Amino acid sequence: MALKLTLGGVSHALDIVRLRPDLVVAVDGRSREIVDHGTNGSRRAIEVDGRRFEFIEARDGNRSYLWFNNRTVIVDFVDPRDAADDQGSASDEIRAPMPGVVVELHKHVGDRVAFGETVLTIESMKLQTNLTAPRDGTIASIGKNQNESFEKDEVIVSLAPEEGD
Amino acid sequence: MVSTAPPFEKILIANRGEIACRVISICREMGIKSVVVFHAGERKARFVRMADEAHEISGETPVAAYLDGAQIIATAREAGVQAIHPGYGFLSENAVFAKAVGAAGLVFIGPDPDSIDLMGDKIRSRRFAADNGVPVAPSILPTGDLDGFLGDAEKIGFPLLIKASAGGGGRGMSIVREPAELAECARIAAGEAERYFGNGRIYAEKYVERPRHIEVQIVGDGAGKVVHLFERECSIQRRFQKIIEEAPSAGLPTALRQEICDAAVRLAGAANYRNAGTVEFILAPDGAFYFLEMNTRLQVEHPVSEMITGIDLVRMQIEIAAGQALSVEQSDITMTGHAIECRICAEVPERDFAPATGKVLKLMVPEGPDLRFENGIVEGGAVTLSYDSMLAKLVVHGPDRDAAAADMVEALGNLVLLGVETNVEYLARIVAHPEFRAGALHTGFLTDYADDLGPADLEPDERDAVLLAAALSYREFRTLVFDAPEPYASMNGWRN
Repeated sequence: MALKLTLGGVSHALDIVRLRPDLVVAVDGRSREIVDHGTNGSRRAIEVDGRRFEFIEARDGNRSYLWFNNRTVIVDFVDPRDAADDQGSASDEIRAPMPGVVVELHKHVGDRVAFGETVLTIESMKLQTNLTAPRDGTIASIGKNQNESFEKDEVIVSLAPEEGD
Repeated sequence: MVSTAPPFEKILIANRGEIACRVISICREMGIKSVVVFHAGERKARFVRMADEAHEISGETPVAAYLDGAQIIATAREAGVQAIHPGYGFLSENAVFAKAVGAAGLVFIGPDPDSIDLMGDKIRSRRFAADNGVPVAPSILPTGDLDGFLGDAEKIGFPLLIKASAGGGGRGMSIVREPAELAECARIAAGEAERYFGNGRIYAEKYVERPRHIEVQIVGDGAGKVVHLFERECSIQRRFQKIIEEAPSAGLPTALRQEICDAAVRLAGAANYRNAGTVEFILAPDGAFYFLEMNTRLQVEHPVSEMITGIDLVRMQIEIAAGQALSVEQSDITMTGHAIECRICAEVPERDFAPATGKVLKLMVPEGPDLRFENGIVEGGAVTLSYDSMLAKLVVHGPDRDAAAADMVEALGNLVLLGVETNVEYLARIVAHPEFRAGALHTGFLTDYADDLGPADLEPDERDAVLLAAALSYREFRTLVFDAPEPYASMNGWRN
């Protein structure tokens, strides 16, 4: 999955290169090895290629404010769901973040799922990724079987519309 | 145990934000109950939470509510207060309001309405200053008589500033450096004045190049006794508004300081000025200084004077309003060290200081014994365009100017204010600038050094770290990183 961000009006793309034994992410094609030291109070520490950075972060929708090295930096996320020309409510669907193959379906039509629960595992660019439920709900349809391939932005799973609105 | 009764039981503060918080704090210290007024939408604001009582007021716009003197006085009577503190801005320099407060049987914590009237009139106050031996910049009165104008203007000397009498925003304004240019410039200025303002009257005054803004904090008892708390330098301005102030001013010779402070005391004494006020001057590079105006209220930047003198100006304002004598003699007032204030504003300096809006998501304030964070905001609070863009003031006090400047840069770096764009880093870049450190200040400083004061690019490692840090807080990305199913996530051989 390529995560698109903008910083100071410039677009950047982040791609996961590998997760283990250590996390490596390509930032605009430059591989960076990352160690997440987690948070201590409001501060989070990460190590990038062995260099430690501490920051404090606050999120407002797709905008991230980071206090870092005595300065404040604003990073905006380009939501792939905004970028895609999608129909209907985005929160009713799980769309493919990138082209790939279904490795395993963990849920079936009619199953209840909770927000954030893994629904299926996909593989793309040699990387396995769990796709999770965008909200609590019931699975209305699954468009792909195991080992079937899909294109970026294809709807793979739909949730039944919620009653009451 | 001896205890002094507070001068008032209850005070209404006809203001909001950081200054309301500031007045509430001293009220609490003095054993006075505080009442604030607020507009819908400010119910959760810091000053509303801090006050002992809060009353909602209404108005077509939030600002209109704070300018509605009748409504505020009615609220004050209903709340049973004895006095009203106007803060700064809004009704603080409104003589009609000050008079109405008195007529309602309440005390206005500020000067007499006559003083507000006198100093609020540019031409009358200038004349009053000149009559009392306070230097004013040579000028000629507005006229439509071009021939007479040329003769009078030539007498002032060059460079000369020609302005449209009805003008504003720089239109109809020009700087004349040579006598030969005068007639042509005056003709153009009069023409522009006629076109833009429908009034061809122009006037001229001596133009001071690279002027410094120096002002003197004074306090008067209303019976002719006036003391000063030294001067403040407010030369760092953007869009004609101060953003960094300090006390004392950088590198002012002692004799000149004395002369300027004496002039301010003379002016306020002549007016039998009561309460706190500020006399503003323009200081020319050659040491000549000219009366600019007098502000008949508490100033935003009053804390720097408090920090070098140890005097609480708001406490003094309340005591004087209650009829108490001045609690200090001039000889008691001494200054120690150096204080700098930075105004934290919701704005984007890189976009010509455009105001910014948002929500305060995170606020972590630097702390220290010689540091004040005068603040009107809380985490979760909205920053809107309804009011002034100033959110807070950061004030530091150090043993000397260099130490105070270094402390300010550090304190600004440690201020975490996330959720709305601010000028915090811009302020830090100014205070860190070598010319600022050298004390080479003038009101055009920010324009002259604009190229140096832009944001520094992040170095590549830092930029990538920021992007990665942001990504790691992004739910979708975290899901990918931390919820990847085993054993696939630890597969080897992806290094090719």
